[in-house]
Formats: sequence, structure tokens, C-alpha cells
Amino acid sequence: MIDIAHLTHVYPGTRKTPPRTAIDDLSLTIGDGEFCILSGPNGSGKSTLFRILCGMSLPSSGRISMGGFDLLKYPSKARAQMGVVFQSPAIDKHLSVAENLRLHAVLYGLRGGEYDHRLTEALAWTDLKDRLADKVDTLSGGLARQVELAKCLLTRPSILLLDEPTTGLDPSSRRNFIMALHKIQRERRMTVLMTSHIFSEAEDADRVAIMKGGRLLGLDSPQDLRAKLGREMVVIQSRHAESLEARIRSELGLKTRRYGDEVRLEETSNGDSLPVLEKLLARYRADIDSIAIKQPTLEDVFIHLTGQTAEQIEREQMEGAHP
Amino acid sequence: MIRVALALAHREFIRFIRQPQRVVGTVAQPILFWLFLGSGFSSSFRAPGMEHISYLEYFYPGVMLMMMLFASIFSSITIIEDRDAGFLQSVLVAPVSRLSIVLGKVLGGTAIAMVQTLIFTIAAPFLGLSLGLGSLALLIGAYVLTSMGFAAMGFLFAWPMRSSSGFHAIMMVFLMPLWMLSGALFPIEKVPGWLHILMTINPVAHALVLMRMPFYMTAEQALSDQRYLTALAVTVLWTAVCLLGSMRRVEKRDRGLVQTSLTPH
Repeated sequence: MIDIAHLTHVYPGTRKTPPRTAIDDLSLTIGDGEFCILSGPNGSGKSTLFRILCGMSLPSSGRISMGGFDLLKYPSKARAQMGVVFQSPAIDKHLSVAENLRLHAVLYGLRGGEYDHRLTEALAWTDLKDRLADKVDTLSGGLARQVELAKCLLTRPSILLLDEPTTGLDPSSRRNFIMALHKIQRERRMTVLMTSHIFSEAEDADRVAIMKGGRLLGLDSPQDLRAKLGREMVVIQSRHAESLEARIRSELGLKTRRYGDEVRLEETSNGDSLPVLEKLLARYRADIDSIAIKQPTLEDVFIHLTGQTAEQIEREQMEGAHP
Repeated sequence: MIRVALALAHREFIRFIRQPQRVVGTVAQPILFWLFLGSGFSSSFRAPGMEHISYLEYFYPGVMLMMMLFASIFSSITIIEDRDAGFLQSVLVAPVSRLSIVLGKVLGGTAIAMVQTLIFTIAAPFLGLSLGLGSLALLIGAYVLTSMGFAAMGFLFAWPMRSSSGFHAIMMVFLMPLWMLSGALFPIEKVPGWLHILMTINPVAHALVLMRMPFYMTAEQALSDQRYLTALAVTVLWTAVCLLGSMRRVEKRDRGLVQTSLTPH
């Protein structure tokens, strides 16, 4: 279990910049065996939270318990039951796969027969069995990620933290990685907290936490998050989105939200969408570039909660998603 | 803790061996320095009290010290590389003592320096220097101690650095002068007053004493010589200070501003 209570982190300012609050009184509990995705725009505080959770930074205030151990008071005990997969590769490219795994085992006090046994277990799901003697820098990105995960599994962590682990992977490697992760998580009943910008990765999670400005905006199962938006929505692209939105509001009395040049009628209940769409098209044809009925996705939930446009999210993903 | 430190040191050594350019560079460079400078200055060098010594011979322990300094610099740069590449973070989140992280780097750097200096020791007979078993043991002890001292000093400086170019600056304005003013290049006796002061307070100069005396004394003579014992004590001291300082640096985690010092919002 990961239990975060009233966590606040304020970065000390410098002479030129004032102190900046990265995490603002955040409380979050992730139950045993739960798979939780943490998402949020750049600067939302999720990277800071991740650093604190893996014990690399000390927060300004608040409490964190990892599997029953106070992370801030007994970092070593809490660390012993944690596995961490970082965004940047934490394996040595100049060493072979086997050498990397062995070194990691020593760091966690594994040796002898126990190590051999764990190694077989940790490699069972991977495609690495024939590549153990190869240097890591000869592996593909997908295989290198498998080494990272296998390395963490060696120590049989009860808690696994992953920071955007699929960054830089092609879509099929990404899918394989996430599928393997889910399978292992279920088999071993690990508690998983993974930060991600990729909403397709969040669909299978037990819960999704969405952060912005250091606070938790939403925390629920993907289904429930979606249900919080209307069941359907009408999405209009327009070059004159601002004036169009004002007219829809005043002339039709409909509730709208605007994200850049996109006007959304997010709270359209089932079955109402088509008549609304027809009405809009009849009245404002000249101003509408495109109009569609959409089932909300997690991305829509994210956009709704954080007020970010799809383009902003895409740009952040392109930039490698680091604040 | 020792097991972890040795495993980390082993990794350093494997990485060193797997980069042949590094091996060639670190072994060849001091030897070239020694041969070129040593031969070049031979005719003009007359140290007071050491008139019978050629510059090649005078410079010999100094080159050993330089090898250790360079091994330490190279291994310190790998700290910055490890941080950049991401390897370091997985070591930091492991439940290991912070001292073993420091020792891993330091022992790795020491092992690399040892290989070089031991190879270089083969040159001693060609200079007409003879070493008894006892003196050889003292010499090897001095290699280990001084290599560790330098490696720990490099660690201390490299840990907070985020770029290797920043570390190069430290190396040129701080670490290199420590070596230059240790008596490795020229003896302290005839230098101007200000330089004499700098050389006297330079702790690294004592390491050079440990490296030079065994070539001219038996182990018993050295161990009863006040200068040798002082040099040993000072070297142990600065090595220990650098090791502890490094450990403190690794233990330090960046900390959020504590709320009470802020205006409430």
C-alpha cells in the first residue's frame, strides 16, 4: 500500500525566482494490489511526487507510508520493498544483460541459489533469454525496457513505481510492455503506481489519478471518470470558436466549453446528440469547419479536468513530457 | 556493505577495461610525460641535496602521483556520466548504505590506478633504484592510500556537478595545482616565498613523501623517520576527510522548503 497524506513540496527559490509550490496538500492512497496511473500536464507536480516517492527528495511536509514503512523516517526499509523503473534508462549500457542483473541483485542482497531462482522467474516473461551475454547497448529500445523491468522484479517488490516507462518505444513495443506489466502485476498482486501521458495505457488501470498544479483533480476508475462527463459530446471545430460559442450559449441556451478553436457540448446526454448536431449545423453552417459526436475518452476527461487542449497535450508528449 | 562496494567497484573496472582507448590513454600519457619532461629537464636540473639524482629519477614518484590523480579524475567524471545516463538513480533508490556507494566508486578508481602504477613500478630498476620487500610493501600501501584519497577527493567535487565541462574547470584550477605544487615537478627548497607557503600547506605533498622515501630507505628506516610518519598521518587524514565528506554529500537529499517559513496562501 502507498499512503500519501497531506504532502506538500515547495522548491526553494533563488535570488531571482520565488519559491514554487510543486505539490500542494496532496493526499492519495493506493491499495494493495492496485494498478494506479498518475497523469497530469507538464508542471503538474507528478515528477516531483515521483522523486519523493522513490526517496530521492524530501518533501516540505506530509507523510508517506510504503507498505507500512514510513518512507521519510526509514528510507532503507521502505526502499527494500520497492522497485523503481525510471524514465531514463537506469541500466549500464556497457555491461551485458546478465552483468546488469547481477549487480542489481547484489544491491538488494540477493545471492547464490536464491539469485538463480529469482533470475529464472524474472526473465520468464521476457524475450531476453538468448541475449543475456549481450551488451545492453546492442538491444532494441523495447528489449532494454524489458531488462529494466526484469531487474526490478528480481527483488520481488511489493510496490512498483514506474515513471513514463514507455517513453521512446514504438507502439507495438509499448503495447507489449504494458500488457506484460499488467499480467505480472495481477500474478504477483503488486501495487503499481505509474506516471503516464498516454491515455490508452490508462484504460486498463484500476484507477487513474489526474494532477494539476500540485493538486489531485480526479481519482477514479477509467469507467467512472468517463461517466462523470456526459455520455456523449458534440465537438465543433471552428475558426471563429469564440464568437460561435457565445452565440450557441445566448441563442440556444446550451452549456459549452471551449478549448482553443474547439467548442464542446460535453454534457449532452445519450440520444440528444443527433438533434443538437442537426440544429447547430442548420443555424451555424458557415462558421463550422467540422462537427462530430464523440464518446468521451480518458483524454477528454483529462482535457475537461485540466483545461488543456488536445494540441497542448500532444505537444507535451512530443517534447518528451518532462517539466 | 563491502559486497555492494566491491560489486560497484567491479563494474567500474569492467567499464575501464572495455574502453581500450581509456586504458591506452591513462597508461601512456603519464609515461610520455615522464620521458619527455624527465629527459628534457635532465641537464638543467640540480636539486639541493639531491645532486646525484637525475630529473628522470626525481620526477619518477611524481608521475606515479599524477597517474593516481588522473585515474581519480577519470573515475570522477563517470559519476557525472552515471547521473546523466540514469544509472546512478537506480543505485540511489536501492536499500544500500550511502558509504558503500562512495566506496564503490573510490575502490573502482583505486583499482584502475593500481594497475597503472604497478606497471610503472617496473621502471624502477632501470633507474638504478632497488626496492627491498619491506619497502615495496610500504610503496604499495602508499599507492592504495593515495589512490583512495584522490578518488575520494574527485568524488567530493564531482558529486554536485551536473556537467563534465564544469568538472574540467575544477580539475584544471584545483586538482592539477595540488599535484604541481606537491613537489612532483620541482623540489620545495628553492622556490619563491609565496610558492613555498602554498607547497607547505598542500596536503597532497605528503602523499609524495610516501611515494618517494621507500625508494631510498628500508621499511624500518622509513617507519622510524619522523617525516615519513607525519606524511602518513596527514595523508590518512585527508583521505578520511574526503571519504566522509563524500558520504555526507550522497546522504544529502534535496529538500522542499519547510512551510512555516512561507507566508500562508
